[in-house]
Amino acid sequence: MGGLNTALLIGVGGLDAAQGALDATSNNIANVNTPGYTREEAQLSELPETESAGQITGGGVSLEGLQSIRDELLNVQIQQQTSLQSAADTESASLQQAQTYFTSTGTDIASALSSFSSSLAALSANSTSSSAQQGVLAAGQNLASAFNTAAGGLTGVQTAANQQIPDTVSQINSLTQQIAQLNGQLAQVPAGEGGGTVQDQLDQAVKQLAALTNISVTQTNNGETITTGSGTPLVEGDQSYNLQTSTGTGGQLEVLDANGNNITSAITGGTLGGALNIANQVIPGLMTQLNTLASQFATAFNSAQAGGTDSNGNAGGAFFTGTANLSNAAANMSVGLISAAQIAISSSTGGGNGNVANLSAALTSTLPSGESAADGYAGIVFNVGTVASNASTQSTAIGDNLTQLTTQQGAVSAVNIDEETANLMRYQTAYEAAARIVSTVQVLDNAALNMGSSTSF
Amino acid sequence: MRIDPNIVPEMLANLQQSQVSLDTALQQVSTGLSVNEPSDNPTNAAAMVENTIQTGDLDVYTQNVSTALSTVQTASSVLSSLVTSLTSAVSAGTEGANGTNSSTDLASLANEVQGILTSAVTAANTSVSGTYLFGGSGTTTPYTADASSSTGYTYNGNDDTNSVAVGDQTSVQVNLPGSQIFSSSSNNVLGALSSLVTALQGGNSSDIQTATASVDSALNYVSQQQVFYGNAETQLNSQETFLEQDKVTLSTQANSLIGVNESTAATDLSQAETDNSAALAAVAKVLPNNLLNYLAPPA
Repeated sequence: MGGLNTALLIGVGGLDAAQGALDATSNNIANVNTPGYTREEAQLSELPETESAGQITGGGVSLEGLQSIRDELLNVQIQQQTSLQSAADTESASLQQAQTYFTSTGTDIASALSSFSSSLAALSANSTSSSAQQGVLAAGQNLASAFNTAAGGLTGVQTAANQQIPDTVSQINSLTQQIAQLNGQLAQVPAGEGGGTVQDQLDQAVKQLAALTNISVTQTNNGETITTGSGTPLVEGDQSYNLQTSTGTGGQLEVLDANGNNITSAITGGTLGGALNIANQVIPGLMTQLNTLASQFATAFNSAQAGGTDSNGNAGGAFFTGTANLSNAAANMSVGLISAAQIAISSSTGGGNGNVANLSAALTSTLPSGESAADGYAGIVFNVGTVASNASTQSTAIGDNLTQLTTQQGAVSAVNIDEETANLMRYQTAYEAAARIVSTVQVLDNAALNMGSSTSF
Repeated sequence: MRIDPNIVPEMLANLQQSQVSLDTALQQVSTGLSVNEPSDNPTNAAAMVENTIQTGDLDVYTQNVSTALSTVQTASSVLSSLVTSLTSAVSAGTEGANGTNSSTDLASLANEVQGILTSAVTAANTSVSGTYLFGGSGTTTPYTADASSSTGYTYNGNDDTNSVAVGDQTSVQVNLPGSQIFSSSSNNVLGALSSLVTALQGGNSSDIQTATASVDSALNYVSQQQVFYGNAETQLNSQETFLEQDKVTLSTQANSLIGVNESTAATDLSQAETDNSAALAAVAKVLPNNLLNYLAPPA
């Protein structure tokens, strides 16, 4: 049979439980805006009932601990989407910058080609006029410098991406060290508590890591094992492995694992994946197109120029120079003529201004690439526009997805002030009621002790 | 089901989205363009490259057509007057060959033909804004008097012809060299006139007759050459019409590629403004609300 002491114990247990719940509530309220914080709930359970002389008495409440409420599956999805979005954002930012060099501004290659073509047409109407000849020379110089600017712009974007790569790798290394350390701490946290603060910090660090590179996370007895690329370990238990960068044979930056193996091609996500893609794939691809155009156009125009005779009576010299080396044709393109009199206006066979038509034709004729100069440039504009538009569309789409996932995660783990306010009142009442049990038992104890004493009546 | 209590990120995302729409609408209205950078519409931006080049060329082609027309028309009218003069020369020759003329008459006829010769030389040396119409591509006066020449004049120009670009891959030849019109080996206009002057001065009817016949033949020859200018003029006129149409086509194309429908853009802008204010108003209304506002402060 339970006595007053039992009631007292139950009352004290109630006080403990209400206090634990109030602790959880106050911690939740305090951390309402803390990034990565997961709300805690007090884990309450009934104590076993006691049976004494055929009577069953409840055992009161027990506070099992405070548990963080989280959904690991959602975390994994959020990590993956974060990697993708971060890569798309990095690419989008670079390409937004790159495409400004291919936007119709009046100084872009399309405008320069247009002016060059117009200047030749004007020359045909007035081929002995030195101002018309100067016009062609100046328009040619503008065209060469438009190529230089576009190539310089692309190189600038590539350089920026190349600077981002080692920075990102060192951020990754510092995060993996932090995660390894947290893994060590996590091993000491009691199992029933959902990891608590350590797990919150770990999740937050892993999410930051996911924004930097594509990762895969496995839960093990030693905490979280994290790999990047196709299985390169970054963190195993409390051990972290540093990535490093090196310059490849083609001058491109490569990412190496801790053992020095090249894992560049397996890095597809996060800022690192985006920057690698820009620096090693997208920009070099565009640059090759631009160089090919510059080189083939210069060759075609020079050959038209060589087919004619200039105003000094000499065979036409190379109009454009610097395009011999395909790898930097666009960047080095320049006008080779010293004076406008060197423009090969006359046809070697027919005299007159017969070669002007050949020079003009070099702008519209099919280059070895299978396209005219204008179509070749239009192809580059299309490609730049498409990659830029794809990256930003992708970023938006993943962003929507991520918002959705974050909302789901919030529904599970975020602190709701209204809920906590209601809980605050609920646990306050519970605490007051449990305290009342204690004071009641005290009164009853006094009454029992004073039984039979004359002073009590 | 528990819902996400943290509405701030979603609200900010919504606000940002409405801000983006507003910016886009504003940009479209202010620039009048729906494609402001290649990523807005890669296909259309690429198509605009060709359009830009063609539009730029079109202005020059139009200008070239009008320059070429004035050259061709001037040349044509010079040749017309030359034909008229040559006709007079033939009449003078015919009159001089009829055997009834006194030496005074013949001298006066010779003077008349000499005058025609001088005007023919002037015609052959016609220049338009510094360029000789009948000098090939030469820059010196095409015909100068030369006593040592059998015809009395030397051609200083060359046989070159100039073609003016009036369209993509289309050019029109705008000149014939003087060597073809005035001093061709078969029908040398200046030579025929010189011979006629000499014959009239000599007074030999049969010489005059021969010389008159060659002037007549030169007359026919020049008339034939005139056809070249007539054809060029026709070609230039039709090209002018084509370029005008092309200009409309290109500007319509540019408009449909990257232009913006102004009424749509204006509607979009006003829609975006409304959306943005609504989103802002919603945030302002929802954010301050929580249970604490409705509870009495703890006693």
